[in-house]
Amino acid sequence: MSIGGLTKHFGGLIAVEDLGLDLFPGEILALIGPNGAGKTTTFNLIAGVFRPTAGSIALGGARIEGLPVHRIAAMGLMRTFQHNMPFAGMSLTDNILVGCHTHCRGSLFDILLGRRGFRDQEAAARHRAAELVSFVGLQDCLDRDVATLSFGEGRLLELARALAGEPRVILLDEPAAGLTQPEMARLGAAIRDIAARGIAVLLIEHDMHFLLPLAQRIIVMNFGRKIAEGAPDEIVRDPDVIEAYLGEAVGGVAMRPSDA
Amino acid sequence: MADLLELVVSATASGCIYALVALAYLLILRPTSVINFAVGEWAATGAFIGVAVQTPLAWPGLDGPYWLALLAVPAILGVLGWLVDVLTVRPLIRRGASVTSPILALLGVLVIFREGLTIVFGADPLPSPPPFGFKRIAFGPFAGVSQQFLIVAATFVLFAATWLFFERTLWGRACEAVALNRRAAALMGINLRRVTTFAFVSGAAVAGVAGLLMSPLTSAHYLMGLPLAIQGFTALVIGGVGRIEGALLGGLVLAFVEQFGARYLPIPSGLILGFPFVLLMVFLFLRPSGLIAPREAR
Amino acid sequence: MRGTRNALASLVAIFAASALAFWLGGYATDVYRKMLIWVALALSYNFLFGIAGQVTFSHFAFAGIGAYAIVILAHKLALPFAVAFILAIVLCAVLAFIVALPSTRLEGFYLALATLAFSQLVLVVISEGGDLTGGTGGIANYRLPSVLGYAIRGPWYTILLVLLVAFTLWTLRRLDDSVFGRACRAIRDNSVAAAAMGVDVRRIKVLAFTLTSTLAGLAGIAYAYIDNVINPPVFGLENIFLLLFMIIIGGAGSHIGAIVGAVFLYLAPFVLEPIVGHGFLLVFGVLVVLTILFQPSGLAGLLNRRSVRVAT
Repeated sequence: MSIGGLTKHFGGLIAVEDLGLDLFPGEILALIGPNGAGKTTTFNLIAGVFRPTAGSIALGGARIEGLPVHRIAAMGLMRTFQHNMPFAGMSLTDNILVGCHTHCRGSLFDILLGRRGFRDQEAAARHRAAELVSFVGLQDCLDRDVATLSFGEGRLLELARALAGEPRVILLDEPAAGLTQPEMARLGAAIRDIAARGIAVLLIEHDMHFLLPLAQRIIVMNFGRKIAEGAPDEIVRDPDVIEAYLGEAVGGVAMRPSDA
Repeated sequence: MADLLELVVSATASGCIYALVALAYLLILRPTSVINFAVGEWAATGAFIGVAVQTPLAWPGLDGPYWLALLAVPAILGVLGWLVDVLTVRPLIRRGASVTSPILALLGVLVIFREGLTIVFGADPLPSPPPFGFKRIAFGPFAGVSQQFLIVAATFVLFAATWLFFERTLWGRACEAVALNRRAAALMGINLRRVTTFAFVSGAAVAGVAGLLMSPLTSAHYLMGLPLAIQGFTALVIGGVGRIEGALLGGLVLAFVEQFGARYLPIPSGLILGFPFVLLMVFLFLRPSGLIAPREAR
Repeated sequence: MRGTRNALASLVAIFAASALAFWLGGYATDVYRKMLIWVALALSYNFLFGIAGQVTFSHFAFAGIGAYAIVILAHKLALPFAVAFILAIVLCAVLAFIVALPSTRLEGFYLALATLAFSQLVLVVISEGGDLTGGTGGIANYRLPSVLGYAIRGPWYTILLVLLVAFTLWTLRRLDDSVFGRACRAIRDNSVAAAAMGVDVRRIKVLAFTLTSTLAGLAGIAYAYIDNVINPPVFGLENIFLLLFMIIIGGAGSHIGAIVGAVFLYLAPFVLEPIVGHGFLLVFGVLVVLTILFQPSGLAGLLNRRSVRVAT
């Protein structure tokens, strides 16, 4: 995925200004910055929720800026949300199956007539959903009402759902927020696994302990602009970054930001 | 010419009734996001209470003066509105249910009220006595039945009072704050529960007064609620939900289009009945924000 | 194995429901037939409201369009019945599509009001249709023509209605248990997340509305030949409230709930009217409020231990 000159203005407010980044298959790129730096807005721009004021976004060579959300998803870009957005009235498996939506092609008549090709698709999707459930470790929650899942379990569901679409690029918005330590460890392993399969991962995170060992490259944003880019150990030593975001750096492992 | 002026008076009076119903919707809708379709039945209830207080015809039959009805209607409707809030809306909001639940529950309330009216007052229309009699009066070139002028006057008084309340009093500004941003208002210490209760009490009272005012012209009838609810909602959509003035404008626009269309357009009179619905659809599809843009959050 | 068992159970149910037609007397047959129409309408409305999450008030209007279309085309304009039938269905579908396009851009109750306005407008047009639609008096004195030499009368027509219900149920269950049904529910529960998963929200919404409204039209066509009389009030506002109540009390989102709700609320007045007179409507209103407050998954939720919570 290539992004160039991405800009978004909301009336007089400049949310994102002239952002550029490249994302390669199988890499884990992290987007960090203080609250209000424009990270989630960037996600929303990439995913098609907002139309950029200027700039271009290309996925595998094809331009996607300005396309509707579902089209971008169909082209292989899936995302999770900062606050869990499960489908509360559906079972866990069905939630994940919705992620397979773009792979279940067929008209209403195909459904009604029960065409073989269609039924095979359905079976394959269910198989994939079951795989994903064990991949994220939610096997014990299969029969439970989705609305009763804990926050951490909901997070994992978000991830499984986004993966169901077999994306080329996956955007994770604070996937570790609210997770317990063991859950975070499993999440980290899952993300590495995803990247190893060739999927490009772009993630927003605040938790440095989780992020630093995981990300291969980090981009730092502040006030809508990119202020630094590089490998994790470079970033934690970059003076601009420390000033804007990391606060006091102690021996390479940064503290939580002390900003507003 | 006199014909035209009479039509103006008639349309203005009708428009004011629609405006009052739209106001009732608005008082509830803005702080709670709940569309209360039962306001039509509340208006019908107000009409019947007016008849009950003033004549021996209904149950209970008194023979009281108009000012008694004018007090009884908002008081009783206020209590009813409070009951509806406590019994149906508050538990749902507290449970965190989406806004569709209270709206659907209120449809059940609508039916309860309508059937309740039938049981208590019977299925026949009951005439309601106009406080200033049936004589015609004229203000300058505008002539009409006295009740029509009373309606217009009362409507303007109510709208002015409501506007003053929301603009100038502390309580009113708190309600406005909730309407603009519910969560922020709660964080600032505004009691959401009280605002919701106030919304229902005031909405019910206004609806009841609307019914009381219109009943001398149309009689009190248990079926009057639903058409009124639709017309009031159409007025609301036309005027826009952002400001109180919108309700007044919407009501007048609807009434004028209805009545002038019926008189002057070369369309069979039956089809004119379809006008409000065409208007509603046009506005919903093309200009859902209404004629008056909502106030920007300051 | 489960599929065969279900199919067998369905066949038994259809058989039993059909056999009932021969056993019932004249008045009971009329009640049974109308109940079947309500069940068919409830099933399609349940899909639109409970599964796709669209609150609409136009369902009866489309039933009315179907009914008037078949009667006008087949009898007033004397077209061959098969042609009239197909045209009537197509007309419903096209009109539903036209209404769906702007309506599905509206959210929540605004959609309900727009469809309400549409249905009231349809009523006005029918009432003012003069000779073509019979105006407020309606149209009478027509009969279902013989199909392939057979006159479908008496209990055979009742069986036809049972088959209509079965067809409606089969179609909707098929669609529900597929990518389309999941997409509808996803849109109902969280349309933003649904779009992010690749669901074309507009398209699915329009499809759901058009499809269910066409099924309503089909039920309307079947209704036209029960009494061989159609007139405007049947397709009015009162009934749409009743239909909504049936779905809420039965359990929105559940096919069984729709059937149970329809049967229960349709038959209840016959039992209640001798006791409380017209007040049975008040009982329904109270039941609806109680259901929403205390048992949002409705009667179906009571029957189903593992009740998946319907997003209310």
